[in-house]
Amino acid sequence: MPISTALSSSAPSDTAPAPAIHAVDLVKKYGDFTAVDGITFQVTRGESFGLLGPNGAGKSTTMRMIAAVASRTSGQMLVAGLDPEQQGPEVRARLGVIPQQDNLDEELTVRENIIMYGRYFGLPRRYLLAKADELLSFAQLEHKANSRVEDLSGGMKRRLTIARALVNEPEVLLLDEPTTGLDPQARHVLWDRLFRLKESGTTLVLTTHHMDEAEQLCDRLVVVDHGAIMAEGSPAGLIREHSTREVLELRFGMDRNTEQAKILEDLLTNTDAGSGDVGFSHVEVLPDRLLVYAEYAESAMEKIHAAGHKPITSLVRRSSLEDVFLRLTGRSLID
Amino acid sequence: MTRTRRWGAFYQAEATLRSMRAYGGVILFASTFQPIMYILAMGLGLGVLVGAETDFSEYGADTYLMYIAPAILASTVAMTAGIEFTFPVMEGFKWRRKYYGAQASALTPQQIALGHILGVSCRFGVHALIFTAVLFAFGALSSPTAVLMMLSAILGGLAIGLPIMAYISTLRDEKGHAAIIQRFVIMPLFLFSGTFYPLTNLPQFLQIIGWISPIWHANELGRVLAFGQPTPLWLVVVHIGYLVGVVVVAWLAVRRVFIRRLGYDEWRGRIPGLKADQRRQARQDSRESAAGSHQRSEGVPPVSFRHGVGANYYSGNIRAVFMRGLSAIRNNRGIIFISGFLEPVLFLTSFGLGVSPMISGIQAEQAGMAGQDTISYAAFIAPALLAVSAMNGAVFDSTWNVFFKLKITKLYQTMMQTSLGPVDVAVGEICLALFRGAIYALGFLGVLMVAGLVTPLSAALMWITALFIALGFACIGMAATSFMKRFQQMDWMMMVLIPMFLFSATLFPIDVYPVGVQWVIQALPLWHGVELMRDIAFWSFSGLTLVHISYFLVMVAVGGALAAYRMKALFLR
Repeated sequence: MPISTALSSSAPSDTAPAPAIHAVDLVKKYGDFTAVDGITFQVTRGESFGLLGPNGAGKSTTMRMIAAVASRTSGQMLVAGLDPEQQGPEVRARLGVIPQQDNLDEELTVRENIIMYGRYFGLPRRYLLAKADELLSFAQLEHKANSRVEDLSGGMKRRLTIARALVNEPEVLLLDEPTTGLDPQARHVLWDRLFRLKESGTTLVLTTHHMDEAEQLCDRLVVVDHGAIMAEGSPAGLIREHSTREVLELRFGMDRNTEQAKILEDLLTNTDAGSGDVGFSHVEVLPDRLLVYAEYAESAMEKIHAAGHKPITSLVRRSSLEDVFLRLTGRSLID
Repeated sequence: MTRTRRWGAFYQAEATLRSMRAYGGVILFASTFQPIMYILAMGLGLGVLVGAETDFSEYGADTYLMYIAPAILASTVAMTAGIEFTFPVMEGFKWRRKYYGAQASALTPQQIALGHILGVSCRFGVHALIFTAVLFAFGALSSPTAVLMMLSAILGGLAIGLPIMAYISTLRDEKGHAAIIQRFVIMPLFLFSGTFYPLTNLPQFLQIIGWISPIWHANELGRVLAFGQPTPLWLVVVHIGYLVGVVVVAWLAVRRVFIRRLGYDEWRGRIPGLKADQRRQARQDSRESAAGSHQRSEGVPPVSFRHGVGANYYSGNIRAVFMRGLSAIRNNRGIIFISGFLEPVLFLTSFGLGVSPMISGIQAEQAGMAGQDTISYAAFIAPALLAVSAMNGAVFDSTWNVFFKLKITKLYQTMMQTSLGPVDVAVGEICLALFRGAIYALGFLGVLMVAGLVTPLSAALMWITALFIALGFACIGMAATSFMKRFQQMDWMMMVLIPMFLFSATLFPIDVYPVGVQWVIQALPLWHGVELMRDIAFWSFSGLTLVHISYFLVMVAVGGALAAYRMKALFLR
């Protein structure tokens, strides 16, 4: 153990501990293409931090830079007080990495996967035998301990990947789209596991393009698009700041959406001052439907009906991060 | 619908051919380059040795080259069949599930199977055409009827390929089966098929393999067509009947399997070794329940880290990478591991027994030794084959295997998530390759000692030398892999290895060539490996021995340095 890190980890109460991740002006270029374009953020210990954005926004690249497997073009980064580019192995020893696609070792059994992974960290065998049992039960895979990995279902593989990443009891867990491709039940099992980790004090950093996942798991998140941060805050804060409380979804049929949007906008803007409080903000046109942003969507709908407009379907719902993203970028998250 | 009913198989054949287009360059190059290589190496090289003592006019051929020409065509087609009827079929059912795409269309399962066969036959046809043209150009063929040997070669290719296709298409999962077929079926059938010598040169019990082998029947048929090898009519009928019979039976089997898997049954295929896996799992489970559970872990123990030079690249944990490899070998089927040592033994048996009757021996002087003795042909090629197998193993492990773990299984990506550095991974993998090579070499040297071809002292030194040669090739291979981007580029690697083998003075002394060609051969690494092995085997050292050793030292240094320099490109991409 180097003296510097021994100090910082043994005396957290005296001075403020080094933040889990400290990133300033991160830039990553591949040739002419700029994947990450000046991202700055900080993650404190024990926090659950999310990077939210569409495919190709630069989330995974940022994760790779944190995990010391991609170099930075410019900018500064400290993970647990260490520079990943200078002390890659030591930084990775404090991380648990869960990549987008399970990269389990198909030539080994379930238990061997955990033990071997621990060996890569230089952990002693005696510790790993006990730890493997513990992790297998955490992942609900005790009955599969000696199976080949290829016999596992998708959800089981995902849980094994997560269990494996915990073998070194990481300070920071990096999750790249942890539940993409899982069925709803497997997803909820996984969320439950991640909650427990969070409660036990593990720092979580995750990327996702699922809004519900971000709302479930993240204390704080940044919205990333085109390699830059568009907004930052808690899920509720972001919604409050960038969207109305409720949304009214209307369908008028494909070709009428644009003209109806104009009409509704005029209607709601003009009547708002007059009768009743709607809290109207604006109308978004999507290819298949209109989104009417208003504090009180029910009242907005009554007004629209009263004016004689007849949508094919209508739906009132609460605003979500999806709406925040739409507002910030003018695009939806999942194309 | 009626169009599809009539022409469906051709649509599938078109799909097969289109997917080959990605490899088009390699295919055309191989078809042109292979015959030239064989003509120069075997026809002219080995021909100089053989031609001086054996007359091939009794077989109807003017020269040794003419004698082997039709057989080489048939053999190369058979080798191609071994590839085209294994991996693409696995791709169709499992890896890319292409056949299920075709199944969703109006094609019938039979048409899908037939389409693949037609597509591959087209490739055989193109290959045979170019090959035959090259042979004519070099004067290795003279009679116009030789053109007909293209047909016998294609028939032979189908006779060896269709049974393999029938077998592979029953598999749900490929766990080294293609490699097993390559080493245990195609290799012996090729080596004991009378390609480079008349089958009758072999002892009786080995001739049986030839009689079973479609390659032998295709070879003999090709010789009848190409230069009218005197053959009784009944035997010609047997050759044709055997090939056609195998093709028909195998086609019925292929058809049956395809209908089962792609028809209403939707049979998913067999998983060979499943029972063995389950047994092992049950054994392990019961052992664990007997042992009871482990103590609860009490926090992660502290781990120390290397600091100083290259701390970012090397964490001092090569052992974990090596142990992972051993676990993987243990979990895989033992037969794949064993098969690696089989190849040099088969080569030695085939050439040692088959070529020996045609030549009285190699002059010691030709082999680069002092003295006037004659060395038996088997003793001459044995040490060289050890060097060749060391090269093949090391190159395969450091290129193909590394690339596979990099791109397909992403094992290295997993390893780089941990506190391993790229140097740990690279060195661990090289150690594993050497470990494997050491075991293979031990087996082969055991065979040589039993056969009385080397002394125990030489064998011990040759064992170490084999590892040294392997290390040299592994370093260069690893460095080369860091520049590879696509799988097709890996195919070119084979284009380097095969000529290196044929022009390494393994099967005949280097002095059969003119001086200019000798220089080229002497510049290549394998020649140095081969000669180094011979120096030790015949206990005849000279200044040249030091040159050979230095050559490999340079290879290790340059390859190792380049691989280290490219380490990031290799593992952190």
